[in-house]
Formats: sequence, structure tokens, C-alpha cells
Amino acid sequence: MKRINWLGLGLLAPAFCIVIFFFLAPVILTGFFAFTNMSTSTGVTGGEYVLNQTGLRAIEDKGLPEATLKQLKNAGYRVDAKGLAAMAEQFGENAAAEFAELHGDALFTSRRDMERALKDLRANQIRSTRDRKAAAELFKRSVLNERFATEDEFRAVLIEANINPADHDAIVMQAYSGWVWTKENIELIFTLPSSLRYAMNTLMYVGLTLSFNVLFGLFLAISIFYLPPRTSAIFSTIWFLPRVLPPVLYVLMWKWFTWDTGFIATTLSWVGVAPKNWMLDTSTHAWVVIVLINGFVGASLGMILFSSAIKAIPTSMLHASEVDGASRIQQARYIILPQLRWPILFVTSYQTLSLLTSFEYILLSTDGGPGRATEVWSLAAFHTALNNYGGNLQYGLGAAFAMLLVIIGIIASLTYLRFFNFREMIAKPRIEG
Amino acid sequence: MQLQLKNFTKRFGDLTVIENLDLTVNSGEMIALLGPSGCGKSTTLFAICGIHRMDEGELLFGDREVSDLPSQKRNVGVVFQNYALYPHMSVFENIAFPLTIKKQSASDIERQVNEIAELVYIGELLKRRPAELSGGQQQRVALARALVRKPDFLLLDEPLANLDAKLRLEMRSEIRRIQQETGIAAILVTHDQVEAMSMCDRIALMDAGKIVQFDQPSVLYTDPANKFVASFLGNPPISFIDPIVDSGALMLPGGLSIAIPENISAQSKVQLGIRPESFGPQFGTGLPGKVCFVEMQGREELFDVLLADGSLVRSIQPAGSGINVGAQIDWGVAADNVLMFDQNGARL
Ligand SMILES: Nc1ncnc2c1ncn2[C@@H]1O[C@H](COP(=O)(O)OP(=O)(O)OP(=O)(O)O)[C@@H](O)[C@H]1O
Ligand SMILES: [Mg+2]
Repeated sequence: MKRINWLGLGLLAPAFCIVIFFFLAPVILTGFFAFTNMSTSTGVTGGEYVLNQTGLRAIEDKGLPEATLKQLKNAGYRVDAKGLAAMAEQFGENAAAEFAELHGDALFTSRRDMERALKDLRANQIRSTRDRKAAAELFKRSVLNERFATEDEFRAVLIEANINPADHDAIVMQAYSGWVWTKENIELIFTLPSSLRYAMNTLMYVGLTLSFNVLFGLFLAISIFYLPPRTSAIFSTIWFLPRVLPPVLYVLMWKWFTWDTGFIATTLSWVGVAPKNWMLDTSTHAWVVIVLINGFVGASLGMILFSSAIKAIPTSMLHASEVDGASRIQQARYIILPQLRWPILFVTSYQTLSLLTSFEYILLSTDGGPGRATEVWSLAAFHTALNNYGGNLQYGLGAAFAMLLVIIGIIASLTYLRFFNFREMIAKPRIEG
Repeated sequence: MQLQLKNFTKRFGDLTVIENLDLTVNSGEMIALLGPSGCGKSTTLFAICGIHRMDEGELLFGDREVSDLPSQKRNVGVVFQNYALYPHMSVFENIAFPLTIKKQSASDIERQVNEIAELVYIGELLKRRPAELSGGQQQRVALARALVRKPDFLLLDEPLANLDAKLRLEMRSEIRRIQQETGIAAILVTHDQVEAMSMCDRIALMDAGKIVQFDQPSVLYTDPANKFVASFLGNPPISFIDPIVDSGALMLPGGLSIAIPENISAQSKVQLGIRPESFGPQFGTGLPGKVCFVEMQGREELFDVLLADGSLVRSIQPAGSGINVGAQIDWGVAADNVLMFDQNGARL
């Protein structure tokens, strides 16, 4: 029997905790939220039962019978103890007592009937129409807009209001203001035209930024390689700045650069170009800015990786290619680039994954605008769940957005892992000598 | 084609590595740049192929001045010490690279690569990657790549340094064979005197950025220009003793005296160089001493003999003499083969 190494397990425990709390828990929670209809209005705890106009309209759409709807809509009036007590307070004990005598326990279906009944008062007449209206209101007993703490209370009211028991379940479900389990989020995402748009935006964002990152990173790395050491050090430091600058500051500089009173606009105004917001003027502007902002940040990563890979190429190999007759460009093409295959693949896959989920630079710069032109999937998830102008934060729907992204990310990383086939990569001697 | 390097000077920053070096390689000839580590052999080679710029001097390929041409335009083939094969290309692609760069047609390339691969005996390895080859095979591929474009000159930078002893022996004759078959003038950089002597027509012996002597191997050995040449060539190395100059003769410790040749003016101080094969019992007696070290070398035995004045002289003898460490001997010197140097090390 194997003895369990408790010391080893103990040492590993913190790592387990970190993996569980920080890696697994968010994914699991996302999956969990994605199948609820949680939002600001439902809250994340349980809720109460209330049927309002919106709810009424919603069940109407779901095909509730006309008769039931009418019953729910038309306020019913009941001369009960509660109403009479309120009446006594406003119109005097006597009036209330007289009315109880006249119409105690009576039921009226319309306001007109209720008001007519109030006219029956003799000793304690309510003269003005306005007061009668107010008095009628005291007896209004409706399912609408009343809050009930439990389902039983709500159902009791429905029975009392004589509503067809066949429709109770649908009404209760609609009236429940807390969250419930649902698959609607996913269905919604697949039917909304805007999600297609977010998907296309994401493709465009990842595709363009990635190409920029890799190509520009390569260009930088190769040109740095051919520059004299001191110049290349300065050069690479400059290109590294966007990465080490806090995103907020970095994007602020871009905003300052592109504002309608910013650098570009001001400079161009000297040659007679009307000032405009160069970031948000059109969606093309927005895309260019976003690709550049993210591209410059990512290019430095590529530059560093590619540079060190180029430095790992033995100088004698470069000398050999020179005496073999290769020009600088041919040297880059035939000797340097082929030996950068792994770094290029690595940067591509790593950046795809991080670009898929990253939206901070877009959020800070265009915030998805103009319109929804640069709203990418992850930003849509954020907006839906955590920051939306409507005020109703749809945690459930947002989580569903995020969950789809997580699934795509996992598939992509598994594919990359397969593609890389790390074991083979390690076994393969890259450089001889 | 003849190669001429005139007044070549190379500096790295403030450090002058080569100063005013002249070198001529005749067509079809193979010469060695031989010298101790750091003397500037590779630097000279890299200047010839254009990897290093020349600070001063001129370089002629035939009548063509090439000092200002980049290496791409010089048409020299270089074999680097670590072969510098391209790991991501097959052997075929490696050899074909200089031709591919020139955008020759595929059929032309194929024909030439096959031709050269036959010459260096690697016809059946063309599909492999460099990582799948032995050191000697890589060496052959590097040679083929250097030769495939029919270069004006072949430059070899310590091509055998990475091989084991047996392969080194084999490749020594192989390189020489290939060089002679192609007739391309070649420069071999090495710090191994045996390599230089066995492979090359002439040896340029370098020391501290200068060529000390440039001649046929046998001349360098028998007629060295100075003490440095004498001590660099020969294995086991030459021994030096300081005789006393006395009335036209050199008095060696132990009583032997050697007459100073007439054409040499007597000096107060002279050094004698005695090669191991010029000292032994077959040359009579007169130089007594004590054997302090014996090294068995198979067919031969090497003795270190301590003389009365404390200097050490080596002798090489056929094996089986039965002389052991500690034995007192009295051997003679082949006076004709003794080399004389003045106190600055110049040959007398
Ligand atoms: N790039 C360089 N920068 C500065 N000094 C250099 C450079 N390359 C070579 N040197 C110096 O020039 C001198 C000659 O170097 P070189 O490489 O030609 O020696 P070598 O004769 O080939 O020696 P080895 O047999 O060890 O290869 C050495 O002192 C070396 O330190
Ligand atoms: Mg060297």
C-alpha cells in the first residue's frame, strides 16, 4: 500500500485552494449564473410575488385567456373591514358604519358600480365627486400591484378574485419577482441579431489586433536585430512603454490624441481640416484606434519574444547565410523567420486567448461605440451584466455571454495544446552546436 | 585565381588585432593560417570573406579589388568551425541554399547539388536534417555547401576541431582530396600544426597579429625564422639550452662544445635549439644528464633529460631501450641540426 505523503499534500494545499477559488470557482459560478434570470429586479436572493402592468403584458403575450386577463386588469371592489376602517378614518365613523350597513361585504366589478353604491349614503353623504372617487379607491381590491411575501398568500388572493384555477400557475410564475432557473438566456443569445454582431466584432477585433501584434512585433524584432546595440536598446524600450503604462493613462493619452480638441484635430485644423473626434467619428475610426491601442500593447510582447529567439540563432549561421549570398531580406526570410516558428505560434495562440477575453482597452477608449460598432463579446457580457444604461443589470444574461466565451476559450486552448504538441517540441533540438 | 591581402589592419575599438599583414595565396594552392589561440587567424579569415570590414589595406581576388564588397558579392565558400548548417532545412536544401538565393532553376540546382554531394560522399543523406547527422557528415555537408557555388576561394575555419581523433585523420585527407579535385585555392585556419603540415602546401605561421614565417611546412620545420617558429612546430617540441660562448665555440653543460659557424658573428649570448630527434646515444656522447621522465608513445619513447645546469632536453628514441627514470645517461647531439638564436629569438 502506498503511504500518503502528508507533508507533500500539505505543501500542495495552498495551490489547490488557489486553483479552486480563483480558477475553478469563477468558471463554475459563471455557468451557474448563466442558467438563471438574475437581474437587478430579481436580486440575487429570493423574491416576493407581485403582478404589475409589465408582468400583465408579459403573460398576455404568453397567451393567457382574455377572460382571466380582464379579471386581473379590472380592479375589483370589496366592501370589507379593511376598507371600512380606512373610510372611517377619512370620512368619519358614521359614514363608515352607514356604508357597512348598506353594502357590507358587497362586491363590485367596476369603479362606476362602486361609486354608485357610495351615492347610496344618506345620512353621511359624500358630496363631491372627487371625494367619492377617493372613497371608492379605499375599497379597491386587486391582484395588481399588491406585494405578497409568500406564494400561498398570492394564490389565496387569486382564488378570492375568482380567477380560473387553470391560469394560476402561469400568473404565479410571472408574479414571482425573484430569480428562477431558465435556459432562456442561451436561447436569447442565439436569436438576438445583436449577438451575431458582437461575434463579428470579436472576430474582427481578434483578427486585426493579432495580425498587427505578430507582424509588427516581427518587424520590430528584426529591425532591432539589425540596429546597433545602443539604438536598439532605446528603440525597444520605447516600444515597451505601452505595456508598462497603466491602461487608464495609456488610453487617456490616446483620447487626448484623438479628441475633437486634441492633437490630431488641432494639428489638422492648421491645414484646414474641420476638427472632429478622430476616435468616435465613424466606426472605421473607432476600429483603427482600437486595433492600434491594443496592437501597440501586444506588439511589445511579440517583440521581446521574437528578439530573444533571434538572438538565440548562432551568429555563425547568420554569417554563413551572408557568405552564401543572402541579402538582409533573404536572411530574414530564409534563416530568421523559419527559426521563429515556435515563438510566432506561441504568440498567436496566447494572444488569441487573451484578446478574446480582454476588453479593458475598448471599454476605456470607445466603450463599444460609436453605437455598438466596437462592442465585442466580452464587452457585451460586461455591459449586460454589470454596467448598462438601462439600469437593469442582467446578471444571468451577461453570465451566459461570458459562459459561451469560456467554452470557446477552452476549445481554443485545447486545440492549441494539441497543435503545439509540447512533448515533440521539447524533444526537437532547435539549434545545433 | 590568386588572392592577395596587402597591408591588412584590423582593429576592434582601440584594440589593434592585426597590423599590416600581407598574404598571397596562389591559384590551386592550399595554405594554412597557423598560430596560437587569439593570434588573429579567424579575424583574417573573416576579413577575407567579408564578415569583418578591413580597417586598412586591400584585398585582391585575381585583379579584382574586393575590400569594399559585402560578403554576398565575394564568391567565397566558408566552412565554419561549428559548420553553421541551417537546422530547419534538409541537407539538400542546405547545400542548395547558395544557389536558391541566386534564383537558379530547380533542375540546375538539383544537378549541381547531386554532383557536389557525390564528390563529398553524402549522396544518400540528402533528405535528412542536420540534427540527424554525425559530426563528420555535418562537416561534409558544410563543405558541400561551401563548394556548390564554385567559389573562387575556399575558407575553412578550424574545420576539424569538433571531430574525434579518428574522424579528424580521415577528414584531413578528405578535405585535401576534395580541394585538389576541385582545384580551388583554399585557406585553412588551424592551431594544430599536424593538421597544417599534413594538409597544406604552405603554412603562414601567425603570432600576435603578424605572419612570422610563410613557407612550405618542411622549410618551417628545418629552417625556422625565429625561436617562436621553432618552438611552435614539432611534436614533441624543441628544447632550448643556454650555452656559454667561449672563443668561437659554444660550451654546453657537460663539456660538449659546438663550433660557431663562420658566417655567424660571435655573440655574448646565444640560445641553442635541439629537436628531440637530434639528441640521443646514436650521436655519440658529450651531453650527460639524468632521465627525469619517460613517456611511452607506442613505437617510440620520449625522454626528458635534466642537464647539469638545470635545463631540460627532450629526446625521442625507438621503443625498447630499457632506460628508466633516474638513469644517468651521456648522449650526443647532431651538431648539424642544432638551431641557433640570438637573445631576441632571431635565428642566427
Ligand atoms: N568582435 C571582437 N571584438 C573585440 N575583440 C575581438 C573580436 N573578435 C576577436 N577579437 C580579438 O581579436 C583577437 C584575435 O581573435 P581571433 O578570433 O582572430 O583569434 P583566433 O586566432 O581565431 O583564435 P582561436 O584559435 O582561439 O580561434 C583576440 O584577441 C580576440 O580577443
Ligand atoms: Mg578562431
